[in-house]
Amino acid sequence: MALLEVKNLGISFGGLRAVDEFSITIEKGQLYGLIGPNGAGKTTIFNMLTGVYKPTDGTIVLDGKNITGKNTIEINRAGIARTFQNIRLFKDMTVLDNVKVALHNHYKYSTFTGVFRLPRYFKLEKAMDAKALELLKVFELDDKASLLASGLPYGDQRKLEIARALATQPKLLLLDEPAAGMNPNETAELMDTIRFVRDNFDMTVLLIEHDMSLVSGICEKLSVLNFGQLLCEGKTAEVLKNPEVITAYLGE
Amino acid sequence: MGFLNNLINGISLGSIYAVIALGYTLVYGIAKMLNFAHGDVIMVGGYVIFTCMTTWGLNSWLSIVLAVIACTLLGIVIEKVAYKPLRQATSLAVLITAIGVSYFLQNIALLIFGEKPVNFTSVVNVPSIKLFDGQIVISGETSVAIIVSILIVVGLSLFINKTKSGRAMLAVSEDRGAAQLMGVNINRTISLTFAIGSGLAAIAGALLCSAYPTLQNTTGAMPGIKAFVAAVFGGIGSIPGAMIGGILIGVIEILGRAYISPQLADAIVFAVLILVLIIKPTGILGKKISEKV
Amino acid sequence: MKKEGASAKTKFFKPQTRKSFITYAMVIVAFVVMQILSSGGYISSMLTGLLVPLCVYSILAVSLNLTVGILGELSLGQAGFMCVGAYTSAIFSIVTSETIENVWIRFPLAILIGGIIAAVFGILIGIPVLRLKGDYLAIVTLAFGEIIKNVFAALYLGYDSKGVHVSLKSLSNLNLEPDGKLILNGPQGISGTPNDSTFIIGAVMLLITLIIAYNFVYSRTGRAVMAIRDNVIAAESVGLNITKYKLVTFALTAFLAGCAGALYSHNFYTLQASKFDYNLSILILVFVVLGGIGSIRGSVIAAIVLVLLPEMLRSINSYRMLIYSIVLIVMMIITSNEKTKTFISANTAKFKALFKREKVKEAE
Repeated sequence: MALLEVKNLGISFGGLRAVDEFSITIEKGQLYGLIGPNGAGKTTIFNMLTGVYKPTDGTIVLDGKNITGKNTIEINRAGIARTFQNIRLFKDMTVLDNVKVALHNHYKYSTFTGVFRLPRYFKLEKAMDAKALELLKVFELDDKASLLASGLPYGDQRKLEIARALATQPKLLLLDEPAAGMNPNETAELMDTIRFVRDNFDMTVLLIEHDMSLVSGICEKLSVLNFGQLLCEGKTAEVLKNPEVITAYLGE
Repeated sequence: MGFLNNLINGISLGSIYAVIALGYTLVYGIAKMLNFAHGDVIMVGGYVIFTCMTTWGLNSWLSIVLAVIACTLLGIVIEKVAYKPLRQATSLAVLITAIGVSYFLQNIALLIFGEKPVNFTSVVNVPSIKLFDGQIVISGETSVAIIVSILIVVGLSLFINKTKSGRAMLAVSEDRGAAQLMGVNINRTISLTFAIGSGLAAIAGALLCSAYPTLQNTTGAMPGIKAFVAAVFGGIGSIPGAMIGGILIGVIEILGRAYISPQLADAIVFAVLILVLIIKPTGILGKKISEKV
Repeated sequence: MKKEGASAKTKFFKPQTRKSFITYAMVIVAFVVMQILSSGGYISSMLTGLLVPLCVYSILAVSLNLTVGILGELSLGQAGFMCVGAYTSAIFSIVTSETIENVWIRFPLAILIGGIIAAVFGILIGIPVLRLKGDYLAIVTLAFGEIIKNVFAALYLGYDSKGVHVSLKSLSNLNLEPDGKLILNGPQGISGTPNDSTFIIGAVMLLITLIIAYNFVYSRTGRAVMAIRDNVIAAESVGLNITKYKLVTFALTAFLAGCAGALYSHNFYTLQASKFDYNLSILILVFVVLGGIGSIRGSVIAAIVLVLLPEMLRSINSYRMLIYSIVLIVMMIITSNEKTKTFISANTAKFKALFKREKVKEAE
């Protein structure tokens, strides 16, 4: 059974049909790319998958569970985590706390326990610190753990967002333009990290990206979106050779 | 008859709220900020008129004109000095600044004019109208307040919809970024908005102090807050909304005072605000805006 | 390399613990110093009279800072919650003054009752209101505060052999028997509250408030609240229940304000609801802003300095609010404007670097 099965997803804003009849099937463990020109509706699809927007029609099934129309929080708990195109970190909190916040639903103690510092507080905080540092280490951010998130360089901020998303222990990770603003070296490093995450965290990844070196470098399959509709899908190499795709990107 | 008299008083007070609410609604619509100090500009207008008439012995028309000029300038200065540096700041910071400006004006007035309320001479010399053998009395202040507020609403609507500057204001309120790309001068438009709003506050000050002829440094605060309630009630950003909201709040306040409890009249007005925000946060004539992800 | 990582790990939890303990120590030292001075008769009666209010204002500022600084929402209803706490605790103390004679049992109970009922109000108000954002939330909390004040100012309450009498209209409507006892007398407020508040109770309450506040901020809940402050959309995306945490913070703020109210009302024999108008809420906000939004220690220091200073320097008293208002505006412009912000952070970084270098030299 596929991890994510989306059928005939569509959304309208007023009279505008932003996404129409979009379907995608992602197998467990896949690295899947969603590409298309600007304004094609890629981020809108992410927003529907994560419950920020309610789809007008269609169904989203994650790991056999129908999550269509659920809100963001329920969807995160069901197992989808994401990063944002315009980075959304908790900027006045430390790097470590950014990750610890995301561990919230897996290490539970009550406000009362926290305020009165019951033994459970110390036990869980210690466990959370260890877990968070372990995650940060993957992204080589562990030595920056006590800095404010806003003080990180741009590339590190993108990495921290991925670390934070992983901390919610998702089944599916959505990355919205993870390489945006990175130089070729950083992008190459990011590709290694994404592969590492997939292999070591047993993760399935769906990513939006404009950087073709990243897309062709790590994505196993691609879906191409144009004007809110699926243009084509298939193995990366084949899709990138498709004349329709080339036309959509480069124009007539 | 008592009820009719109360209703008329309510409409009269509501007309004044409407004029104040227009200032709030313009500024909120265009600069996207709650100008907490707006009510205190009313108080400044009141004191200017008081000084002109009582201290200098000028006639009421000239006094009002001077007050409008003074408040317009004050509005522009407040915007330039306190609010303009905060265009990119959080709404929390802007609101705290506005509270600071409000307290600044109140305390400057306190230092100049003292704590003791002064007796304000009405600027209106229109005779009162008596109906049904004197059972219903419409005071000159009441009729003037109602007529002036209607004139202002009509005039302002025409200005916004028909003139170039007015349409620039509309454009900025819709989408500041896009308006800027279309060549609208954002700073000038926001300045103009504050100028108009504050000028209206001076007129509201004249009406308010004529109807309720005591004036002190906190005179504008409560009416200001209630007028904001009115603006929210009518739908913030909407000119007719401010008028409708103003009149409704005025009527609710006066009827509440007369028939429920004078102690609880303010509480009733605020309860209305809360009900509106819970049931229809956009008010009677407002529209919804949501954040882009 | 490895060693560095390890030291970063162990270093890291210390700042917050150290921060909180320095604050506790400051409060304890200040308390001891004031106690010694007052027992030696070195401080004026005016200052002695200010000791309890100082604790009250500090608690109020710390509690408001949880909503303004940690949650990032502006509440102008602090005086309303304080009013609820003041009134309910005073009523409790008046009614039970004969049945519970031991002050050390009665007063803590009264404080708890004041705090809990204020928290209940906070939750009742918070449920509908916390959906609103920014300016609307501020104005609605102001409205709630004013409603609470107005209702209490219109409330007549008494009891006699026939039971409890309540009226919102007038004293005569109460129909109290001649032997009855009047507790709330409309605009004249409460009279007959036992004067249970003392400096030591105030100081202990302030200390407890600080412990609660710091522990709250540096806990799972506090992190969630700060995440919501920093970015609501991202907070939702990691599965945080926004409403729940906003409500928890709001209720905690109301609870502490209610406790402060109880401390306040038991400091006076009579108390009018008109004291709790929105100007008081704004004064507390001034403390929070000038102490540094989000800084708990700053709130305490600002509250104490800003209450004491005008009393010490009578000549500036009439300029007090004027100066506060100017400082408020200037602070906001400096801390929120991008240009001034980068200027400050650049210079503090330089300053810190300078400081560090000297430390290194010292170590050598």
